[in-house]
Amino acid sequence: MHLFQTIKHQIIYRWRRLLAIALIVGPGLVTAFADNDAAGISTYTAAAAEYGYTILLIIIPLSVLLGVTQEIGGRIAIIAEKGLGDLIRETYGIRTAVIMFALVFIVNMVVVIMDISGVKAALTLFGLQTNIFLPIILLLLFLVVVLMSYRAIERFFLFIIGFYIMFIISAFLAKPNWNLAVTSLLVPSGAISPAFLYTAIAVIGTTITAWGQFFISSYVKDKRLTTDHLKYNRWEVYLASVLTHMLIFFLMVAVIATLFTNRISVTDAAQAAQAITPFAGDLAGILFGIGLLAGGILGCVIVPLATAYAFSEFFGYSGSLDEDFQQSKPLYVIFLVQLIIGMGVVLLPQVSLFTITIVGNFINGVILPVIFYFLYQFANNERIMGTHKNNTVQNFLLVGAGVSITIASGIGLIGQILSL
Amino acid sequence: MLYFSELTNLHVVTTEGNTLGKLTDFYFLGADQPLITKVIITQSKDTRIIPITKIKTVNASIVVSTDYQTTTTPAENELSIKTHLLNQQIIDIRGNKVVRVNDVAIQQKPYYVVAGVDVGLMGIARWFHGEKIVNSILSKFGKSITSDFLSWDDIQPVELSSGKVVLKHEETKLTRLAPEDLADHLERLSVKNLSKVLDILPTEYETDVIENLNVSRQRALFRTIKPEQSADILSRIDADEAADILLSLSHKRRELILSLLSMETRAPIDYLMQLSKTDIGDLATNEFAKADPEESAGQVKARLKKTAEDYAHLTYVYVVNKKGVLVGVFNLQELIQANNDTPVYKFMTPNVVVISLTTPKEIALKKMIKYKIYALPVISEKRHILGIVALDDLLEKMENTIG
Repeated sequence: MHLFQTIKHQIIYRWRRLLAIALIVGPGLVTAFADNDAAGISTYTAAAAEYGYTILLIIIPLSVLLGVTQEIGGRIAIIAEKGLGDLIRETYGIRTAVIMFALVFIVNMVVVIMDISGVKAALTLFGLQTNIFLPIILLLLFLVVVLMSYRAIERFFLFIIGFYIMFIISAFLAKPNWNLAVTSLLVPSGAISPAFLYTAIAVIGTTITAWGQFFISSYVKDKRLTTDHLKYNRWEVYLASVLTHMLIFFLMVAVIATLFTNRISVTDAAQAAQAITPFAGDLAGILFGIGLLAGGILGCVIVPLATAYAFSEFFGYSGSLDEDFQQSKPLYVIFLVQLIIGMGVVLLPQVSLFTITIVGNFINGVILPVIFYFLYQFANNERIMGTHKNNTVQNFLLVGAGVSITIASGIGLIGQILSL
Repeated sequence: MLYFSELTNLHVVTTEGNTLGKLTDFYFLGADQPLITKVIITQSKDTRIIPITKIKTVNASIVVSTDYQTTTTPAENELSIKTHLLNQQIIDIRGNKVVRVNDVAIQQKPYYVVAGVDVGLMGIARWFHGEKIVNSILSKFGKSITSDFLSWDDIQPVELSSGKVVLKHEETKLTRLAPEDLADHLERLSVKNLSKVLDILPTEYETDVIENLNVSRQRALFRTIKPEQSADILSRIDADEAADILLSLSHKRRELILSLLSMETRAPIDYLMQLSKTDIGDLATNEFAKADPEESAGQVKARLKKTAEDYAHLTYVYVVNKKGVLVGVFNLQELIQANNDTPVYKFMTPNVVVISLTTPKEIALKKMIKYKIYALPVISEKRHILGIVALDDLLEKMENTIG
């Protein structure tokens, strides 16, 4: 009887703990998975089709980079009870705030355009009229964000993330060489050429993003996480980074087993979904398309939301998903503006997405090192962080990440310009 | 009025021409009257803190007298504009985010004091020296913006030291409007709805709004609401306003309301009502000079040079905005001292002493003596300027009465 009681208590205790974790899960998971937005999926696909199993080598270092940088962003927001935008404005003043917001707006605008064009590509894949369905989908997304509460929107995010499982099924349908796939994570299975490095950099650029940093801090704040949640949030961020990279792994494997093996090169995910069908079957192609649609939708909500959060923090306007349109008007207006501009650009045939992407990547390259600088400053500021300052390992990783991403985006840009 | 954005980084020199460094901050008292006490000057890594009273002039550079003594730390009740006010998040009493402080307005006269905070687009543009560009772009669309301003009266000084800029009231759409604008808006409502809206406003704000309603609306309102409520409102507003309102009511109602007032409240109102039989309108002249807030000092000087002979009394220039509302005043000395390209709103005094048509001449004279002013503007309920009354005319008239 006594033993039974103990076990019962143990179970209740564990269950409560699990429940506590479930309640705070969200920011880390949503932000990490949103890195697999349509823009990300396209980049991963193109890279995998080009370099095959060799590209899998970057997955582990990338997941460490993402985990470390996102953890720092989340921790600052929890301790300071302020978002990245709030801290930049209060520490560096109005001029810096205005310039940073302008840069964030442009960079995010490019990502939004890429995500909307991902949704458009997925719609075309399913034979739907984009001129009609694209505006309808974007309008529905806007209504979801305006009308739903924070919790409901988060459930919507998690629901969309669920669709990513399609990539895992696709990978199995593609019958890859699993042995080679797993060993390629640690051992290069091909030559590391300059062109390979350049592609690897593009992959890093779509995973570690400026908007990701703004988003996680605002989202943590909007969720009202406190220092009690610090540990859970840390593990959530790390776990989410691992999970999201597992997903990238399956996505890439699906592409490698079909397109790379058969020497078919593609430039985006929509082409991949079409090209995959002859090798892995109709179902694999459809599942891939659904995954792309989910990625586009997630990106179309989260990236403009990151811009809107940043605006309300930089300029002090009320901005919470729990408030209605009137109360948080600036938040929703910025969100809507980005969707409308994005849709306009995507639906206009004469606009070159290619040029826009290059400009966007350039500004992203400029802004990321600056954001890492801010993160470093805030995370090491005793007045802000108290006892939760960065430790040596975290600083080493953050500085390392900052320096390597700066060099990477510099090289990446040169490569892009030269390839023009 | 000066803005912190324009003062920060100005060079500070002594009257003997020695450079002390650049102005970086001010200390002010976190109190109802936010007096600026000290100026912080930084030169490379050295910081000097000098009493504000040592500032002689503020122009392209700031000149201080040589006999200054420096201190090292702020006093206990002193706050810094840079760390406690600028860029801070403003929240209302319920903790909702409202906006951030984009700039801090500083009034120079009669002493340096924080007048309020700029929360608008102009406050941001000023940091980029972009006021003119923003205005010229907007004027192409037929729009103009002036500063979106929160006055010091709206802010709880006590909370500042804890790093919070908290408003005294709840952030609602209505209270963001200036009382006079809200009054304009409410004048369009039925009296019944009007009294409903007034009921939900904070008491102090309600009083301001009632004072800004036009006479016919005031009369309609006080006819409708209960005499007890009327008496309550009248006891809170200025005696001359109260007298004006009472005079517009029927004799019976007026007596009823007066009987409900306490003796202390009633006495000055009774006195003023008695005096109001005299007419300030007789004395007022419409020969006075006006200027636009955005006009430059140079433009005003050139215009006045041509038209000076038209005026019987040219001592003050009244600043009137595009809606015709009196927003400030400056005297000729201030005009001459101002640089030609300085816009009027920067050197005008925003708090204008005014009278209305019903103000007794004794009160007008008292105001002139108290504030050392030679002429007073007579304004309508909507703060439109109707004319001015000059000291010499007033004295002449009163001499006749006495004689």
